[in-house]
Amino acid sequence: MDYSRFVALRRPLWEELEQGLERLRRHEALTYEELEALAMLYRQLLQDHAWARARYPHTGVARRLERLAVAGTGALHRDAAGDRFSPRRFLLDRFPQAVRAHLPLIGLSLALFLVMTLVGLGVAVFEPGVAVALLGPETVAGLRDGRLWTEALTTTVPPAISSSAIARNNMSVAITAWAGGLLGGVGSLWITLLNGYMLGAVLGVTLHFSLAGELLEFVAAHGPLEITLILVCAGAGLGIGRALLVAGERPRGQALQQAGREALVVLAGCLPWFLVLGAVEGLVSPSPAVPWGTKLFLGLSLQAVFLGWALGAAGRSPREAPA
Amino acid sequence: MPPRPLLAEPAAPEAIDASAGLVLGLDNVPMELPLARIGSRVLAAVLDYLVLGLMMALWVMAVIAVVATLGIEGGWAVAAVLLGAFAAEYGWFALQEVLSGGRTLGKRVFGLRVVAGDGSAASVAALVVRNLVRLLDLLFGLLLMAADPLSRRLGDRLAGTVVVHQRRDGELLLTRLPRGWSVREVRVVEAFLRRAAALEPGRRRQLGERLEAWVESAAPGFLGAPSADPVSRLRRAFGAEER
Repeated sequence: MDYSRFVALRRPLWEELEQGLERLRRHEALTYEELEALAMLYRQLLQDHAWARARYPHTGVARRLERLAVAGTGALHRDAAGDRFSPRRFLLDRFPQAVRAHLPLIGLSLALFLVMTLVGLGVAVFEPGVAVALLGPETVAGLRDGRLWTEALTTTVPPAISSSAIARNNMSVAITAWAGGLLGGVGSLWITLLNGYMLGAVLGVTLHFSLAGELLEFVAAHGPLEITLILVCAGAGLGIGRALLVAGERPRGQALQQAGREALVVLAGCLPWFLVLGAVEGLVSPSPAVPWGTKLFLGLSLQAVFLGWALGAAGRSPREAPA
Repeated sequence: MPPRPLLAEPAAPEAIDASAGLVLGLDNVPMELPLARIGSRVLAAVLDYLVLGLMMALWVMAVIAVVATLGIEGGWAVAAVLLGAFAAEYGWFALQEVLSGGRTLGKRVFGLRVVAGDGSAASVAALVVRNLVRLLDLLFGLLLMAADPLSRRLGDRLAGTVVVHQRRDGELLLTRLPRGWSVREVRVVEAFLRRAAALEPGRRRQLGERLEAWVESAAPGFLGAPSADPVSRLRRAFGAEER
């Protein structure tokens, strides 16, 4: 077809499509017929773009049609439900579904964490010298005197500082565990193994100085959920690593993007809890005024609420839900 | 008879824009995205981090001023600084990109924008994801961008995004052409009309008259009635539309 005739014949269609896309951009409601007509115009535009790109590449007409093709693709292929954030849908469906999808990997994180906890415990029990390397000479001197280092949280540091510093540190650890999946899962595994080892070793050291009871009392209110959240984020990171290493039949880039989106949902559901836990760890956990039983009850309650949300009936499809 | 070449022969299409990356859109629409390469991206990032550093310093000063004025306990000031720093570290880049369609301040200055891999606007989730792995990209990003044909860092790969140069030139559409003209002649005319406004007046007139003569010889009568301004005459004859 001759260029001038092509432009004269087809330009009205391009302008019509442009107007329709503008209406979509302004979130105007389109009737079914209007949407069908827009989709038809879009398909025609793709043909025009192919022609212009083949016959007149890098010219104004090819660029204009390319811009319209991109805009049309973005507007007509967009998953509106996926793009618009709905807090209700996130709370009731997206987060529980995403956690459930990562359960095997979260289970793997938990297993590795427990193994490394035992390793750390063993090392600290059989090689008490590790205490100095882990906790520093001053802290170990305090342990010899029967004092846990956690006392400083109430005696020397204002609660506002300790709570915010703890929350910040834990959120950074969770994000690192999550993002570490991009290194083929190695980063997520590292955070899991290191935290397991540290917990076991610190427990072993306090056992050695007969202060394990005090340590368990300190961690009772915040520890269970804190570890759970880090392991859940690490599991999501492992999901990213799995997509990177074992993409299956899909292109690796596509698998990675999907894993990234799912993992983001998990991370977004976990991070706010760290603010709550920061407050608990800074205010409740080190407080001698709060009884041991209350701390344990608070810790188990927080854990139950989170697990009930993440693994409960919410978010199950009708087929999955129990009859 | 084919028109005589007026300017140097245009390069072959594939060599015209060496920085363009060919990607396939959702409907297999081939698109040549003007990809931003490592140099411009690093410059934009350096500017962004400088601004972030400045913001952090201002944040600390603001918190101290508020605490001193209201007589609040110092612990809360430290808490505000800590949490503000965390929010800035992980949220500042994502927030800017979400609010301004894939552009941080540095990207605005250097004319860059984050788009989805198919050329369409990047989703909010994609913009958040690509910025959550900045820490890793500080270690590996440069190497990956240098090695990747689409100059993607880890965050881009995870989010499915690319960074492109925003086209600064307006859109020009020629609605009429002499019969039988090929892409090369179209490019010559478009190149002149697109740049005409930026040329020094004497040079513009000189080039315009040369182009007029060339078109006249290639397609006699196409330009229509003579005009005092060669650029206006060419625009009218080719039905040039700019936006």
